[in-house]
Amino acid sequence: MMLNKFKEKYSRDEFTNSFIIILAVIILGTFLLSLFFIPLFRILQYAFYSDSQFSFSMFFSTISNSTNLIFLARDTLAQALISTVFCLLIGIPASYFFAKYDFKGRKVIINLLTVPFVLPPIVVLLGFIVAYGEGGWVNVIWRNIFNTENSLISIFGTYQGIIFAHVFYNLSVIIRMTIPAWESLDFDQIEVARSLGASNWRIFRRIIFPQIINYIISAALLVFVYTFNSFAIVLFLGEARFQTLEVRIFKQMKDSLNFSGGASLAIIQLLVNTLIIILYLWFERKTRQMALGKEKGLQKTKLRFSKRNWKINLRTTGIILFIILIGLFTFAPIFAVIIESFIPFSEGVSSLWGYKQLLSNEHMNILNNSPLRLLLNTLLFAVVATIITLILSLLIVLVLRNRYESLRKYRKPLAEGLISYMIILPMATSSITLAIGLFLQYRNTIIYQSAVWLFIILSHVLISIPFATRSILSAYNRIDIELLNVASTLGASRLRIFRKIELPMMMRGILVGGIFSFAISLGEFGATNFLVRDVFGTLSIGISKLITSQTLQLPATMASILIIITVLCFLIIQKIGEVELKV
Amino acid sequence: MVNLKLEDISMKYEKKYILENLNLDVEHGELLVLLGESGCGKTTLLKIVAGIIEPEKGKVLMDNSDVTHLSPQRRRIGYVPQAQVLFPHMTVKKNISFGLESQKLSKEEIEEKIQWISELAHLEELMERYPSEISGGQKQKVALARAMAIEPHLLLLDEPLSSIDAMGREELALTIRRIQKETETTALYVTHNQEEARLISDRVGIMYDGKIQQLGNVVDIDSSPHNYLIAKIMGTPNIWSVDFIEEESNATVLSTNLGKIKIPAKIQRKVTGINIPPTSFKISFKYNEISKEKDSFFVKGYIKSVIQIDEKTDRFVVEIVSNTIEYAKIDVEKTLITADISPNQEIFLNVDPLEIRIL
Repeated sequence: MMLNKFKEKYSRDEFTNSFIIILAVIILGTFLLSLFFIPLFRILQYAFYSDSQFSFSMFFSTISNSTNLIFLARDTLAQALISTVFCLLIGIPASYFFAKYDFKGRKVIINLLTVPFVLPPIVVLLGFIVAYGEGGWVNVIWRNIFNTENSLISIFGTYQGIIFAHVFYNLSVIIRMTIPAWESLDFDQIEVARSLGASNWRIFRRIIFPQIINYIISAALLVFVYTFNSFAIVLFLGEARFQTLEVRIFKQMKDSLNFSGGASLAIIQLLVNTLIIILYLWFERKTRQMALGKEKGLQKTKLRFSKRNWKINLRTTGIILFIILIGLFTFAPIFAVIIESFIPFSEGVSSLWGYKQLLSNEHMNILNNSPLRLLLNTLLFAVVATIITLILSLLIVLVLRNRYESLRKYRKPLAEGLISYMIILPMATSSITLAIGLFLQYRNTIIYQSAVWLFIILSHVLISIPFATRSILSAYNRIDIELLNVASTLGASRLRIFRKIELPMMMRGILVGGIFSFAISLGEFGATNFLVRDVFGTLSIGISKLITSQTLQLPATMASILIIITVLCFLIIQKIGEVELKV
Repeated sequence: MVNLKLEDISMKYEKKYILENLNLDVEHGELLVLLGESGCGKTTLLKIVAGIIEPEKGKVLMDNSDVTHLSPQRRRIGYVPQAQVLFPHMTVKKNISFGLESQKLSKEEIEEKIQWISELAHLEELMERYPSEISGGQKQKVALARAMAIEPHLLLLDEPLSSIDAMGREELALTIRRIQKETETTALYVTHNQEEARLISDRVGIMYDGKIQQLGNVVDIDSSPHNYLIAKIMGTPNIWSVDFIEEESNATVLSTNLGKIKIPAKIQRKVTGINIPPTSFKISFKYNEISKEKDSFFVKGYIKSVIQIDEKTDRFVVEIVSNTIEYAKIDVEKTLITADISPNQEIFLNVDPLEIRIL
């Protein structure tokens, strides 16, 4: 009787759908609970429990410690703020030029500007050292020209060195994220305002500024998060004098074995990150709402020289110089790494020495492994992490966009709300904190002792999931719900709709998300560096071990390989992006 | 071919009823147009019939069997939504065959049916194209063919012409009508545009406040709309709402934006508005020439434009002199137009109160 009533009320299709959703929630819940929430709880425990008694005393003594306070205020908060402001000051004019002026190679330059950002941090750091370090190109040229002993730039152990590196690393974020802001401006609005007698300043203040501010804020918040949580750059350039919270936590946990201190700092960091991420999501949604329904954008002006008008010539020259400077600033370190890999580190060594060394076992004592094995580890970890990430992200998207529930009941289903909040927290958790959680929770288990590589991969998965999910979700959101409704009236089952409609239409997002996850795992440094043991190192770890050695040829070679793979990934993303425009 | 019966359908959205105890019968092979303004719940009703959403209360019956809780997959319904939603990654042919492939048919049968429907909808030339390569009107034809290919028991159309340019509209409307008639498919067609209803319908249901307010063929509704709002939805010219009513011994005085109108009779039913048919006006270009019969309704106005209706008749659009800006449409025999019409020409109008229709 009951069963009949059930059958009458729920079609087989809805049953399949519910089954899939429940299964997805169980898998996601288990994954997040065991690898994120329980480890996070363990961190809380270390921060607030001493001798199995709850107490704030350790937490307070950690955060009121003057060294910690300096690292928090000066090296983390103020540093992130200053880095962000510099990025904005250079990035916003640059994005305006790219949005406003049309010239040969414009698209290529915009696309290439993204490359530094997708490069592994350790590679960026190496490039920075090769280009601007004490013995780096810029300083050598400076000394030769002016015949002096002094350096032009000093990046090691200086505050400005850290800021400089952060601006280099994050400038592309600002430029890429604010170009759409300028492009979304409707030129007709400005013309109308002008015809109504508004001055240029008033037009900027009342018409332009309100329309671009959300884009700028969301880009700035993102750069703030990245520089706030910066690890590799500060670990090496800061020389222990300057430490972000991320570096401080790492040192407390790994060097001082002060678990409760590290845990307390991790909590502070997590709170700040959560706040910023929530703000970011809010502003980002506002920019998307503003972009809706806008068809016409900013008209582009051709960048040109004129025979008569010297003002135009001056402007054009200025813009070209500015763009060349930005290009030099951004690409110099990358080219420097590749060129460095061919420069013999001493006389009598061939320029291909670095590449031959990849196959040798000469560096076992430093690397614990041959460079080739490190490369294989890197690729293997990245492939496995990508597959797991994609499966989990797809499940998240399915739960978040459970059309059946929301359509039939006209309200947001419970699972959707739950999962959407559950994934914000991992987004706001730094890679070191993720690794610490895993370490504290599982360090005494057999599986951790014997298969630390699994935890390295899982930490990569945790870091990649938010990126992959967002990419797939944005592709999914572009599917018109009516398409799925039509498909079901045409008799297609839930599974057939998924296979024939949803999956092909999400494919671009899945590919982009997959490649992103692959690139993230490829260059991940913070969590890997914390967890790594024995022979399970990656190229990033190898480079970091050799970065302080006198000869940069071998690390530059390893970095060049990472650059090539990353650029290839990036080119594929660009290619897919183009295909998408045609559909 | 089935008949569709909706019984006491209710649906709430954000605490407000958008459908409330709605009842409707659609007969075998009939094309019924649901006419109503945006947001009146037409689309929701269509989705309930399609099985995409479930009503809070009420029953959906097809040939007297209850399908209220049946999934869309098993209802065998052809659904053509508002925007031209084709599967963008499939060719026209693949789009049309999508529904057929969900049924257990042989390849030959599928090919046969595709052939049949593509000929019926004149789509043979487009079969290998992608949706991005065809026009809006063509897309909608494909959407229609896709829905019809499964030989649905019931065809549901949600404003199918709304995103099509004016040129393609009539042709598409007639294509829909032709295919529906040839296949004798029962159809429910939703729109806010009364002209579409006039072009295509067997019967029209006027919908607002979550209910079907009047049901019948276009001619019947035009000649006796139940109230002012229905007349408005039907696009009846020259209607004015009545603000209040004064009863006199042998007459009723109606207050409208045109002024007070005295009807020489007692009105027994509820009055919501008045309608003055465009042919009921008597005109004059000079004040002293107008007939001043006792109790006739008299106003002054200015001619704003003249439209030719046919060889014998012109239609004046006249701005009436009143407290608010009101326009009246007046059909005049050309022979009666004695003066040259100049812009803003003064005109005097006279209507016999007995010719005024009470809504």
